[in-house]
This record gives sequence, structure tokens and C-alpha cells, in this order.
Amino acid sequence: MPSRGLIARDLRVAVDEKEILKGIDLTVEPGRVHALMGPNGSGKSTLAFTLAGHPGYQVLGGSATIDGEDLLALPPDKRAKAGLFLSFQYPAAIPGVSVANFLRTARMSVRPEDLNPAKFRKLVFDKLDTLDMDPAFLGRYVNDGFSGGEKKRLEMLQMAILAPKYAVLDETDSGLDVDALQSVGKSVNALRESDEGRDIGFLVITHYPRILKHVPADVVHILIDGRIVKSGGPELADEIERDGYDGVREEAAAARA
Amino acid sequence: MTAYAKRPPPLVPSGTTEPVAALDFTPGLATLEAAIDVLDERGEIGAADVARRREALVRYEELPAPGARPNRGWKYDYANLAFEELRWTTGAVAMPAMPAMPQRTPQADDVEVDRPALATDNAGGLFFFGATVVDAPSNVDPRVTVAPLGARTVREFSATLDGVRGEIVNWRDDKFAALATAYENCGAFVFVPAGVQLDAPIQLVFANGEAHDDAVFPRIVVVLGANARATVIERHVGEGDAFVCGIVEVQAGDGAQLDYAVVQQAGEAARLFFSRGARCGRDAQMHWHLAELGGALARTVLDVRLEAPGARAETSAFFFNTGLQHVDLLSGVEHVVGPTTSDTVVRSAATDRGQGRYAGNIVILPKAHGSDASLRDDALLLSKRAHIDSVPALEIAANDVKAFHGATVGSLDEDALFYAGSRGIARSAALRMITLGFFEPVIARFPSEALRDEVRTALDRKIDDVTEIDG
Repeated sequence: MPSRGLIARDLRVAVDEKEILKGIDLTVEPGRVHALMGPNGSGKSTLAFTLAGHPGYQVLGGSATIDGEDLLALPPDKRAKAGLFLSFQYPAAIPGVSVANFLRTARMSVRPEDLNPAKFRKLVFDKLDTLDMDPAFLGRYVNDGFSGGEKKRLEMLQMAILAPKYAVLDETDSGLDVDALQSVGKSVNALRESDEGRDIGFLVITHYPRILKHVPADVVHILIDGRIVKSGGPELADEIERDGYDGVREEAAAARA
Repeated sequence: MTAYAKRPPPLVPSGTTEPVAALDFTPGLATLEAAIDVLDERGEIGAADVARRREALVRYEELPAPGARPNRGWKYDYANLAFEELRWTTGAVAMPAMPAMPQRTPQADDVEVDRPALATDNAGGLFFFGATVVDAPSNVDPRVTVAPLGARTVREFSATLDGVRGEIVNWRDDKFAALATAYENCGAFVFVPAGVQLDAPIQLVFANGEAHDDAVFPRIVVVLGANARATVIERHVGEGDAFVCGIVEVQAGDGAQLDYAVVQQAGEAARLFFSRGARCGRDAQMHWHLAELGGALARTVLDVRLEAPGARAETSAFFFNTGLQHVDLLSGVEHVVGPTTSDTVVRSAATDRGQGRYAGNIVILPKAHGSDASLRDDALLLSKRAHIDSVPALEIAANDVKAFHGATVGSLDEDALFYAGSRGIARSAALRMITLGFFEPVIARFPSEALRDEVRTALDRKIDDVTEIDG
């Protein structure tokens, strides 16, 4: 019985020959929310891109698995098919490709043959409704000319429609106003309450604790300089909010000395 | 205006075995005189035409080949086209089995890519095989005239054709327009009288068979009366190595609206040279749509002259060069008076060893105050050996005008590819999706959903044949 979860073991990753992640150990279990917090440059986004298979990140050692399957051996599309979803901090625009076409193609790729067009349409409209999104969205080109808030809503819409096993939310809160943040929280929670979303494991990557007010974390990890230096319950996020990262940073330095 | 609403002259029935008038074709006085003899014998030519043809041949010989070898990868030399392999013909030829003017929607099991899959209804049309009219739709709209442009039509419609035929495209200054003028051997006249608004398109189809090496020199003249509205679709289909060198002239009357779409799916060895020009009256709207898909070498000129206040020109063109295809596209808008507006959008892509050039010109003359011109052109290079030159130019001589111009040349967006991949879309599918999406801003401007879908399908099939897409 392979171990369930999105699991990284001693994962070490370099970008342009510079080691950024220096041994990450992390297990995101089905149905649980893990928060990964850290200051700028600590390696948060590197972990997200490495899990998703961005070609610019070189894995130096360690492993990453999804319900026992070796993620690192798969190209990005196969990782999505294995059940991984990454919500991008800066989603790319695909001019000329409508949101509707993109959603359908993605859903058919990840889960071929499970929905007829009428049911797919209903699914899309239900999710749009949950996200307070105008159906006119569907006719626009993917992320082309979208505001920051619109891009993040589209990420959430895709997550809801693909209903992955594990979702990595890379700074989904960055650049959002209060309303947009609330809408993101609402969509994550609605998904978690739905039948197909109940068992999704989340890795919420963030600099600021405020998104955790909307999406409460079961476990909080602090990433500093490519290492998880501290893990704990939700109270750890409160500590960061109160004291910033300096306290944890010093603690970690002392422990390593 | 009812005097013009006549039925077209009877067509030569398909399958006729009348002798072929043919001569081995090389531009020169001997072949021109022989061509004039053939036309004269058939009563297809007048004295004024003879003089113009002779003058045009002189101009053809004097003018330099336009922009020979614009870049290193360019394999074709305009100055050295293999004319001696071509035959100049007119009149009827015995036809192989020909498709009738298609009047049905495409079927899923259609395997013949090159057959035009048309919308269900046509307001009128002509089907040419080589230089010969072989068919026309039966359900033409009685209000319009769609006729072969022979001597009879020229006589009958002289009042409408004077000042239009031979007068809109400046053949004296373009080598290929001069050649087409000298050797014109077929043509079409489309007349939509004042106030007539057509829903169904008029289709002009030019086909070539594999065994035919005819040189085809068509002239298409389209005249729209005041407040008339129409869509004309010009198609090129077939498998042969056709040589087609033609002229299209459009006169849009006051308040008229014309969508003129060219869907070029000629055979892979075909060479096509077209000079297309339009003149717009007050508040008239002229929209060129161009899909260059087939052929080995295609040179296209798309011009609009805005001569009266309120006139508007739109140009929506794309090409996608695969294999060894070459496309040379030149668009021009001349704002003669103000206020007039124009909007030009061009998308060009090349892969394998495809070569392309786009030259876009906007000219705003001194009297064109208050005019507004926009020119946007984007190029996408999908392989290392493909090449596209983009040369946009704005020439503004009036004050108080708005002119926008933007151009990009790029390769496939790796971030977009990764993004699509992260959504489960395999790299090959993502490449296809992003490439097709690149053309969409132009295709979205094409005049009907049927035409848009047809063009999308044709592009999709082209991608099947691509051997190189880097990215």
C-alpha cells in the first residue's frame, strides 16, 4: 500500500545552478490544509513550480510523490492527470483561446469521457455562480487583459472544474483586495464541502497570514532559506502575524549552530 | 437601376469538347499578339482593350521584379518565374469530373480538404476551372448580377464598368498587375444595385486540376451601389501547379458595405499573384479578409482608397507558411480626405522553412483631417529555419489625426505552454491550441460563423502536416 498524500522527501532543487530548496520534507494528506509560509526568497514558489514540473527547475536530489506515484518522472500534463493542481501566482495569458475552450480541453485531458457537454456546461455554470463570476468570462481569452483579481478567480474556477486530488495555491492572495480574497476563500471552502472536493489536500503558499483567515490551515510550516524550520498548528500563523519572520529565523539559526 | 438587374449570360456547359485555345506562355509580344488573336476571334475583345494590353506588356517588361529575395531564406526569385512551362488558354476545355458549385455544409466524413465546403446558400457565384467558367449556382438572387467578365458583359454594363474596370488597381506601377492586365483571360463581374442588401454570400471559385498547367489571368470587378451590402468570397482550390495572376477591383458606393473574403487553398505547387484594390465612397465600409493557406508562392496586394468622408477600411489578413511556402503580403490604406477611418490587423506565422513578408502601409494625405488609422501586425516564428519580415509604415501629412501602429515578432510562449501543461494539456495539444489561438483575433473578424469555422478547420489540418514546431 503506497502512502497517500502529496509527499516531498529531502527535496533539493536548484535554479540556474543555485541551490534554492535544501531538503524539503512535507506530507499533505487528503482533505487537509497545509500552509507554507515564508519571507520573500525563501523558496516557496520554487517548491510550487518544482512540484508542477516547470522545466527551469533542476531537482538535485530527494523525491516527490502523489499517492505513491513518482511526480518527478512525469511531464507537467501527466502530473495534472495524476491529480495535482497548481494555482499560479502569475497565470500566463493564452491569447485567442477562449476560457470556455480552455476549460473544456483541460477537463477532457485530465478526465476524459466522464462528462457529456450538457453536464459539463452545468458544472461550469454552477462553479461560476459559486465564484460570483459573470458567464461573459467564458468568452474572453485566457488571462488576456485580465485584472489581478480576475486571474485569481479564473485559477479558482479551473481548480473547481478539474477537482484535483491535491492543490497547491501559490500566493493566491497576493495582489487581491478584500472582496477578491473573500471570493477565493469562499470558492476553496465550497469545493471542500462538495462531494468531489472533500478529499482534496491543499498546500497554501503565502507570505501573509491573512488568506488563512478565509481558508483555515490544519498545519502551518515556516520555510526559511530553502528549509522548513518550524511546523505547528494554526497558532504558528498568528505568531508570524504578530512577530514577523525574525523570531523564527533566529530560532532556526540557533538550532543549526 | 432596374436596367442592370439582368441575368448573367449563358454559361459554357461543363463537359463541352469545343477546341482548346492554348499557346505556350512566355510573356512577350509574340504571345500577347497570339492571345489577342484568339480573343478577337471569339469576339471577346475591343480596340481599347487591345491598346491597354499592349501598354501593360510594355510596363511589365519595364518594371523591376518587386522585392526579389527579401531575405536569405527566400527561395523564389520573382524575376525568374518558369513561364515557359505554362499554357495560356481561353474558352472551353473538356472537363474532368468537376464538383458542382457546392451548396451544402461540410460533412464529418469529408476527406477532400481542397474542395470548398461552403455554406448552404449563395446569392450568386461562378466556378472557374483554369480560365473557363464551368458552373454557377442555380439559386442566384435575381437582384444581383454575377457574370463572366467577357466582351458582352463589358458592353452591357459599360455605364457601371467605366471608371472602375482597369482604373482602380494601378497596373502601370506593379509588375504583376501589368502582367494580369496584358493577358487577362477570364473574369467575373459582380454588381449589387443600390439598396440591395444580401444575406447569402456571392462565391467565386477558382479550381485547378493536377494535370493542368494553365496560366490563369482573372479580373474580378465588384460594384456596390449606394447603401448596398454584400459578402463576396473568392476561393482558390485544387491540386495542380497553377499559375494565377489576377486583379480584383472594388467600387463601394456611398453607404455601401462590402466584406470581401479570400480563402486561398491552392495546390502546394501553385503560384498566385493578386493585386486587389478598393475605392470607397461617402460612409462606405470596405472589409478585406484574407486567409492565405495554400500554394508555394503567394503574393497579395490589398489596397483601399478612402475618397469621401465617413469611409472606413478594415483589413483582416493572416498567413501560416509551412513546408517551403512563401507569402508576400502588402496592404495599403490611403486616407484621401477626412474624417476617414481604417483598422488593419495582420497575423503571420511560419514554421518548417516557411518564408514570409508583410509590408503594411498607411498613408494619410494632407486633406484627411480628423482621420483615424490603426495598424497592428504580429508574427509568430515556430521553427529556426522559418523567417518573417514585417515592415509597417505610417506616412502622415495631415494634422489632427489619430494613428496607431504596433508590431511584434515572437516565438511560442513557454510560460503559456507550461501553464496549459499544468492543466493536463499535453505539449503537442498545447502547441496546437496556442498556435490556432494566435490567428483567432483575425479569424474572429471574418464575416460568418461558417467561414470562421472553415478557416479554423483548415488551419487545424495544416498543423497536422507541420514537420517542425520548436518550442
